[in-house]
Amino acid sequence: MSLLLSGEAVEVAYGDIAVVRGVNLEVREGEAVAVIGPNGAGKTTLFKAIAGMLALRDGSVRYAGARIDGRRHFEIVRQGIVYVPAERELFPQMSVLENLELGAYSCYGARAERLKFVLDLFPRLHERRRQLAGTLSGGEQQMLAIGRGLMSRPRVLLLDEPSTGLAPFFVSEIYRQFGQLKREGLTILLAEQQVPHALGFTDRAYVLENGRIHLSGTSNELLGNAEVQRAYLGMA
Amino acid sequence: MFAILLDGIVQGLQLSLMAVGITLIFGLGGVLNLAHGQIAVVGGIVTALCIGEGLNPVLACAMGVLGSGVLGLLMDRTLLVPAYRLAGEERLLLGLLVTLGLSFVVNGFLDVRYPTVALTLRLPTPSFALGEVTVRTASAVVALIALAAFGLLFAFLKLTLLGKVVRSIMQNEVGAGLCGINPARIRTLIVVLSAMMAGLAGVVQGLFSSLGTELGNEFTSFALIVAVIGGVRSVNGTLVAGILLGIVNAFASFYVGAYLTLLILLVTAAGTILVRPQGLFAFRT
Repeated sequence: MSLLLSGEAVEVAYGDIAVVRGVNLEVREGEAVAVIGPNGAGKTTLFKAIAGMLALRDGSVRYAGARIDGRRHFEIVRQGIVYVPAERELFPQMSVLENLELGAYSCYGARAERLKFVLDLFPRLHERRRQLAGTLSGGEQQMLAIGRGLMSRPRVLLLDEPSTGLAPFFVSEIYRQFGQLKREGLTILLAEQQVPHALGFTDRAYVLENGRIHLSGTSNELLGNAEVQRAYLGMA
Repeated sequence: MFAILLDGIVQGLQLSLMAVGITLIFGLGGVLNLAHGQIAVVGGIVTALCIGEGLNPVLACAMGVLGSGVLGLLMDRTLLVPAYRLAGEERLLLGLLVTLGLSFVVNGFLDVRYPTVALTLRLPTPSFALGEVTVRTASAVVALIALAAFGLLFAFLKLTLLGKVVRSIMQNEVGAGLCGINPARIRTLIVVLSAMMAGLAGVVQGLFSSLGTELGNEFTSFALIVAVIGGVRSVNGTLVAGILLGIVNAFASFYVGAYLTLLILLVTAAGTILVRPQGLFAFRT
């Protein structure tokens, strides 16, 4: 598997306060990689920097061989990296279908084929297709946010805390769908606090603490790591 | 009674035409355009000058609307650029100052260069009978123009991809960016479109009565009031609010005089912000 996305000595700061401090990370084509860590460790900041929503203070981000740091977020989407934020950032007064249609803005010719793909993946969105996005439940909104991201035919999906605020049933459901996306060859970078779900689904993982990579390895290794078990899996 | 109501509705449509630009520019650009009335006046004055040069009146009106659009384009690509670099409240404040400055400059320029130019468009038949009531032809034409403009605007917003993109930015600019949409380019388009609708409202004023260089500030204030009452992010709210205020304005002018009318409208706007900050009629953009 070839290297698709990488960050080298990535540093991101809000004002003078560095939140991400020299992170190195690699994601190979077709891989699912998790970034786990406590609240405030810098996971969202790291993802936003990769997605072009925050400027790097130092370091670089490479995608398919070329540097992409410094590019604006709407350009990065067109290159094939889609960020699905924890806040979802939907269009509340537009229907599910309109939200999805706008997701295909960067590949508008393929929207019919994409729409079929997304609605097959999330039948629930099909049921709700004429409903306004603002009236959906939290889980449905999360599905819509992921579906909207998939509409642009991404090569890499950045999922930021997809389980936030969801009922356990929904969490299992969306992870089943992530599994399907992975089998179809999509590359996934996932930030998650629901560590068992995240490590169960991904190939490799990084543990981010205080803006630095504290541990890394295959997800199986980390599941067996005593420190991870104590801090994130609630085992004594 | 009926004549006043009709008059109010038509005036209201003109107000909506003016105010919708404020709504769109605020919703999309985060800037309250205090030079909006001046942009409308420029449209009317350009039309008057073109007619003065012997141009066909319909063509002259088109030139006027175009002139407003060009002014809007210049404003967006030059004066507002520093404001767009900022976000949120800072952008709003700088935008207020810049557009206020532009309104002074346009007012001053028109007063000095064209103090006597005014636009008055006369139609061949001044009025016609509709059943029992006599209707001014000008009113009917204004209503038709405004309704057609709004019809086109709504069709654009609801049915075209670009229109949906505009609505998406109004609802969530971050979300739009995550879909690969570059908000800056769409913003320019909307500022130009808004300026052209203001220009149309200016030209239409010449049909009603007369448009002079001094009307800019009055236009801006009325448009702001309408936009606030309708909900500064809601296009259909703006349309309804404009018509309502037009009717209130017509009746109040008739019964209590124009001076108090403006006060009544301002109180309505202030009350709206207190009771329903999202606008009286804000349902869907």
